Amino acid sequence: MKIDMKKFAAWFDDRLALTPIFKYMTKKEVPQHEHSFWYYTGSSILLFLFIQIVTGIMLALYYKPTLEGATDSIGRIMTELPLGWLVRSVHSWSSTFMIALVMIHLLAIWFTKSYRKPREATWMTGMMLLVVSMVFGFTGYLLPWDDLSLSATKVGTNIPMAIPVVGKWVTQFLRGGDDVTGDTLTRFFLFHVCILPLVIFAILVVHILLVQKEGMSVPLKDEIAKKKVPALPFWPNFILREVVIWLVLLGILLTISLMFAPSLELTADLMAPAPEGVKPEWYFLFLFQTLKIFPANMGPVTGEFVAVVLILIAVVAIFFLPFIDNKPEGKKGKIIAYLGVAGVIYAIVFSIWSLL
Amino acid sequence: MRKTRILFFLVMVSLVLAPLAAAAQQTGAPPTVKDKAQIEAAVSAQAAPTQQAKPAPALTRDVNTRLSTAEADPQAKPGAPAAAPPAAKKPAAKKVEIKRTEPIVPAYSGIREKMAVIVFYVWLWFAIAVMIYFLRLWIKEADRVYKAKYYEPEESPRKDNPMAPVLGD
Repeated sequence: MKIDMKKFAAWFDDRLALTPIFKYMTKKEVPQHEHSFWYYTGSSILLFLFIQIVTGIMLALYYKPTLEGATDSIGRIMTELPLGWLVRSVHSWSSTFMIALVMIHLLAIWFTKSYRKPREATWMTGMMLLVVSMVFGFTGYLLPWDDLSLSATKVGTNIPMAIPVVGKWVTQFLRGGDDVTGDTLTRFFLFHVCILPLVIFAILVVHILLVQKEGMSVPLKDEIAKKKVPALPFWPNFILREVVIWLVLLGILLTISLMFAPSLELTADLMAPAPEGVKPEWYFLFLFQTLKIFPANMGPVTGEFVAVVLILIAVVAIFFLPFIDNKPEGKKGKIIAYLGVAGVIYAIVFSIWSLL
Repeated sequence: MRKTRILFFLVMVSLVLAPLAAAAQQTGAPPTVKDKAQIEAAVSAQAAPTQQAKPAPALTRDVNTRLSTAEADPQAKPGAPAAAPPAAKKPAAKKVEIKRTEPIVPAYSGIREKMAVIVFYVWLWFAIAVMIYFLRLWIKEADRVYKAKYYEPEESPRKDNPMAPVLGD
């Protein structure tokens, strides 16, 4: 039987009016140059977000966000449900992959200076996506409700306490009280499965629309030289190349998920002292170590206060980077690029130091 | 070209369905009445350790769950002996809450499972290699069509059919 794909497509088109989107996709072009590879990181992030959603829904079917049920429900997922341990492992590892790719994506944009005019808003929404992704990781870390996640959350939610004026309120809001309890677990679960997905989708839609509006950036030197950069149609030439990357990433994700499936520690005891060697997720390690190196008191204020203020200043500066680096081709632009390299080295060194 | 695409689609569907079918076959069997008897015996032994000559095997939470499922559905296995009538029913064994004392660490339960995982790795990367091979052909053709400016003229089929590069003219 011959399947008439055109009729099939026309049926959908009549109902969903897809022609303008396809016409746009066929007209859209992707520049081809020595840094084109970094374009693939953006779509790969979407792939891992999709995996997160699918595996997250599967886990949420059996997860119980209560003090009594949280650890046991994950134990049940791991030991009783078919391939439950693999679903959990894929969820855990794909979050790591996703955050790593968001960081790589942002660094690639930093070093190629693609945030320059008119893409400032794209950079800012990208930064928001990084922060939301990290909050996703932070809220998800508590959900197994084991000793390690409880202690890490206690440490993590204690950090905002150092923020002037609103610090105490932020900590109480995060914890649902003065300490990490079952209320914290409930609200972290709510944030993780309800509020943060809405936030990330809202920002993501704006980010993608901005990328479509402004198009993909070309290297700075080509833009200065007003050189015409060769391009490739987005559909299907670029999409097919992306699919190749996705397949390889999926293979790596599944291989790692099978080889290094996360274990489940003992149920957290609220009355027990914090276990030794409490560590946050890898992407918070350098911040964790930064907080540790500051002395308890620095004159009239605490060391933690100074550290938190410095970190906040750095985050705000990175958020407004396109406006700070308003002449990327000049000396300031080079200094900012070197600062980026220094930041990466700092993050790597401090993360390793934290693990030692 | 169309044949290549259909072949690619079929290969992808079969490669995706293969592990799903395999996973479905691995789904745990429902607890049987025999299971229930064994579980009850184990629970009784756990509840009254002093009456036993040897210490009872440690119960996992899995046992409790299987017990409750078996109680709810005693006719789980059609060929199994029928359950006793309600009048002759023994008093329900007290459910023992066992607190987990060790972390759950995913590990292979034996050489067979280890081999299954190795086979899965081989299948996974083979499937990826096959799909990339077909994608490469597709990319080459898409690039060739683009370089030849096949869809450039105004009267091109692409004008009315934007999906032409993928679905064909």
